[in-house]
Amino acid sequence: MKKTACVAIFLFHIGLLSLVAHKGAHKEANKTNKTYNILFYYERTEGARIMGGTAKDEKITLGDLLPQEINGWKAEGKDEIYDPQTIFDYIDGAGEVYRSYNFKQLLARRFTKEGKPDIVADLFDMETSKDAFGVFTHDLEGEEAGIGQGSTYNGGLLSLWKDRFFVSLYSEEETEDTRKALFALGEKVASSIIKEGKKPDIVSLIPSENLTEKSAHYFHNHLILNYHFYVSDENILLLDQQTEAALGIYRENDEKSYLLVVRYPEVNKASMAYKSFMKSYMPDATELSLIQTEDMKWTAAKLQQDFIIIIFNAPSRFLAKGIIEELEERIKKYN
Amino acid sequence: MKKRVITRRDFLRVAAMTPFAGAFAYGFKIPEKMEAERRAKVVLIRNKNALISFKKPDPVVIQKMLDDSVTALLGEADPINAWKKFVKPSDIVGIKSNVWGPIPTTNEVEQALKRRIMDAGVAEDNIGIDDRGVRKNPIFKNATVIINARPARTHHWAGMGGCIKNHIMFVPLPSAYHGDSCADLATLWYKHNLKERTKLNVLLMLNPLFHGIGPHHYSDKYVWEYKGILVSQDPVAVDATGVRILQAKRREYFNEERPLRPPAKHVYLADSRHNLGVSDSDKIELIKLGWNEGILI
Repeated sequence: MKKTACVAIFLFHIGLLSLVAHKGAHKEANKTNKTYNILFYYERTEGARIMGGTAKDEKITLGDLLPQEINGWKAEGKDEIYDPQTIFDYIDGAGEVYRSYNFKQLLARRFTKEGKPDIVADLFDMETSKDAFGVFTHDLEGEEAGIGQGSTYNGGLLSLWKDRFFVSLYSEEETEDTRKALFALGEKVASSIIKEGKKPDIVSLIPSENLTEKSAHYFHNHLILNYHFYVSDENILLLDQQTEAALGIYRENDEKSYLLVVRYPEVNKASMAYKSFMKSYMPDATELSLIQTEDMKWTAAKLQQDFIIIIFNAPSRFLAKGIIEELEERIKKYN
Repeated sequence: MKKRVITRRDFLRVAAMTPFAGAFAYGFKIPEKMEAERRAKVVLIRNKNALISFKKPDPVVIQKMLDDSVTALLGEADPINAWKKFVKPSDIVGIKSNVWGPIPTTNEVEQALKRRIMDAGVAEDNIGIDDRGVRKNPIFKNATVIINARPARTHHWAGMGGCIKNHIMFVPLPSAYHGDSCADLATLWYKHNLKERTKLNVLLMLNPLFHGIGPHHYSDKYVWEYKGILVSQDPVAVDATGVRILQAKRREYFNEERPLRPPAKHVYLADSRHNLGVSDSDKIELIKLGWNEGILI
């Protein structure tokens, strides 16, 4: 009875009981996700090139999604275009983040206004709305900006995503004027992107109540997992660009717990990954893939068809087991 | 021999064994073997007048800070005599700078270093200052001595941008070192004799970036005027000390333990895996000079 009560309290705290609300929101998102019908192409500075798309009724260049002027700031110089090979010329090591989300193109445009700090607009074509959402969840710090399908503002940086695009708008110094200009620019870009995109389904498995940030993190590979929660120097979960993962971070008092759900393209691969993880991370697990780690917290793991569920840093064994069982139920319903 | 997998639990084990749990838990310092006792010396100097304005160093104060720190590092009374231990008149000297836009090494620091190298007898024509062009710069190609000077900052992929990472421009494909959050950056120091040629590491803590956001990993919001400089002949020791200061600032600012993300493990692996220098603060003699307010460590 005591155990059941503990689990129930914990599950309530981390929001597992909000499943119904999630499903409703998910259905709503589906309604707005109609077929992308914009023939999308881009420019390199001269000429245009067809990049992809399905319809014939509309043509948009990547540069067309950004205005030439905003609140007196004017576009300066030629737009710069980067791809996964050249992105390091522009943003050094951070380029790995965008590569981890399969980005295709980045357009950078600088805006200047005499006597004011420059504004830099970076528009990423992530090819899919899942990855646009995913790269947005990489850095969720800041206040909600209410633009696009998700946005944050923090310290002179406005980030947003909509459809297959991730947009970063950054002022080299933060002033009241730049803040207004960034928001105006964000609204302009968001309104230029006609369609809305669908969030990755797997994120709906992560309870959203009491997340420490606005959303769970969505990603593919172990580099990004390690960025948010360091598991191992080696890729012991066999994550790659085909796997889909969601990580929810929860705080209770000053303690953080991490709920990871990974979906593999094949059941066999999930099984191999599970064995690999257990061998490296929990070789001493004796009961139900559950273990008390050296910091006196609990880690539990479960293989379920093509999914792996792992709870790291749970405050007790009962809670670790409880959340695994709950996620098993969620996945059954999900499938 | 098969490489050993290192997991979070390894760090937890180390943390459970040591009184310095906070530092080691993210330090990736794993006691796999008993090693010969190695030690390093680092000088931290601070001056509350080091900056004229936000990001603008005072050249006179900077010169004195560098002089005082180098003399303390080498146990010399006179800065020129100290510099003569790094360079001789026949040397060709490259000052490896850093031009990253928001927080560069700055001309004031570069010129202060160049002045003392010239004072030590090196001809001006044999001194070069460069960052991204070092592979094509004839001075750097032929340099017998390298002085490594750059600001400290958090880094989106390496955890910290410091003196170890500053030599990345000597290799043709920097992104080849991005694996596992730049874990093995130290290996580049064994190329082109960089380890032997680099005589001094200057980690600028004048206005460090302690947290980064967005694709450009920068906001003025997360820069603070620490007004300090770290110097050492050991690139690992100077970076490890810089990490401690950045961590302390993050702890103070966020009012919670907020480790660097990703952790700057390349600094600690430079010690434990690559023997480039010393990362363990117990083995670093830290000499603190000057302004003490808000020193954090």
